[in-house]
Amino acid sequence: MEQQAIWAIGIFLVIYALIISEKIHRTIIAMIGGLLMVVLGIVDQETAIHHIDFNTLGLLIGMMIIVSTTAETGMFKYIAVLAAKKAKGEPIRILILLSLITAACSAFLDNVTTVLLIVPVTFSITRQLRVDPVPFLLTQIIASNVGGTATLIGDPPNIMIGSAVPELTFMAFIANLAPVAILVMVVYVPFFIWMFRKKIQTTEELKQGVMAMSEKELISDPKLLRKCLIILGLTLLGFFTHQMLHLESATVALAGAFLLLLLTGEHKLEQALTKVEWMTIFFFVGLFVLVSGLVETGVIAQLAKRAIDLTGGDPIATSMLILWLSAIASAFIDNIPFVATMIPMIQEMGSMGVSDLEPLWWSLALGACLGGNGTLIGASANLIVAGMAGKEGHPIRFVQYLKVGFPLMLLSVVISSVYVYLRYLI
Amino acid sequence: MLNYGYDEAALRISESANENDVEFRIVLAADDPSIIAGLKRVRQEFDENRVYTDVLFYHYPDHEYKIIVRKDYYVDFVLELMKQRLLQSVEWTADR
Repeated sequence: MEQQAIWAIGIFLVIYALIISEKIHRTIIAMIGGLLMVVLGIVDQETAIHHIDFNTLGLLIGMMIIVSTTAETGMFKYIAVLAAKKAKGEPIRILILLSLITAACSAFLDNVTTVLLIVPVTFSITRQLRVDPVPFLLTQIIASNVGGTATLIGDPPNIMIGSAVPELTFMAFIANLAPVAILVMVVYVPFFIWMFRKKIQTTEELKQGVMAMSEKELISDPKLLRKCLIILGLTLLGFFTHQMLHLESATVALAGAFLLLLLTGEHKLEQALTKVEWMTIFFFVGLFVLVSGLVETGVIAQLAKRAIDLTGGDPIATSMLILWLSAIASAFIDNIPFVATMIPMIQEMGSMGVSDLEPLWWSLALGACLGGNGTLIGASANLIVAGMAGKEGHPIRFVQYLKVGFPLMLLSVVISSVYVYLRYLI
Repeated sequence: MLNYGYDEAALRISESANENDVEFRIVLAADDPSIIAGLKRVRQEFDENRVYTDVLFYHYPDHEYKIIVRKDYYVDFVLELMKQRLLQSVEWTADR
């Protein structure tokens, strides 16, 4: 192996370990790792920039602007209170409805944004009903990861895969992943009821308190809401038709975001740009450059060759290996760097003679997204909810989550294995 | 203890202790937009900070609000009502 490849592997492993250890912020570490690849001459700056996927970044930035502006209108609070009333104030029904809303929102917004919107409303409703919010939060974490699996824009691994493989369009993601995501949610609902029904009981009087609430007053800015809804609708239409329009998904999201800012006026511009999670954006930039070091030195090609040797290039074995490896790995490490590494590996498998890569891409997406449910550190949304819950005096323990999340994650991966096998491999 | 006074023609306030919370019921006079705007600003103040369970607002018809205030935010809440001129006076009494 060449000296540069050894350096690239060394930097990658050290950076990866530091990201997992969470001693220093992952964005700083990823950026330093990416810069080391350039400074040490493993990749030149021009090549590094070519490896930064601006489609992923543009899509994230565009959606963050649209969602943060929409959140100001009170729309998400309105939906949650309406759901609580539809559930007649019954805690278990509210738990199910909020988890379904979380899954649906996560399919079209990113998971972290979804939980940031839904968790505060959950605290509010559970406080009024005087029930423990933790069962609600656990089911919302799980639902956000399942919902995010369904579309190209639902979860960062899907955004990255969709961006790296142009033929996997927004519609292709929905057609291939939404059915299995819906199936997993349908299977999960009875488990949620069984696990939590007895833990969240309340009185008739408190239920009536929820039923008497007036949700209309939660809409703080109806004019802005109308504008946001029009732009959200147009943006979603753009995603559905982006292939026909010959537009990348980032172009659609950014067009939606800046059209909205045009409608709201420039006084919203600064506020909207501050709401963009720049730490996440730079984390991606660092990772793309970090992985480029492995790609350019041939390390990824070697790994792909070994994977093919291991499975004999058999599509069933390779798909299952990717699905289960992605799920188990994503349960314990951040799925974003994992997917950033796996994408070039699968592309390399294509150039090594694996003719049909489609089942492999769907296996990677399913494993990486659903695997995030395995542990409390499996996905960013899990950590965000745990952080919010802890800060408000309702800590979610690692083992407490593991007991619920890990079996449900395994169940979803079994369902996905059967789905991938039946749909693509026979 | 904190005592407060308010214009009884413009609003009615009742409060009750409940475990770690204090629950307020506030009913505003419908014909006074400044009072309604004032309570909105109180809500905005607590919505915009980074604590999600400090002061929770629940809207009911006819300008009635239930507000659940965490005990450690009781003073902040009452002072915010004062700041927005929903209260006319606030004073400490000797038993604290």
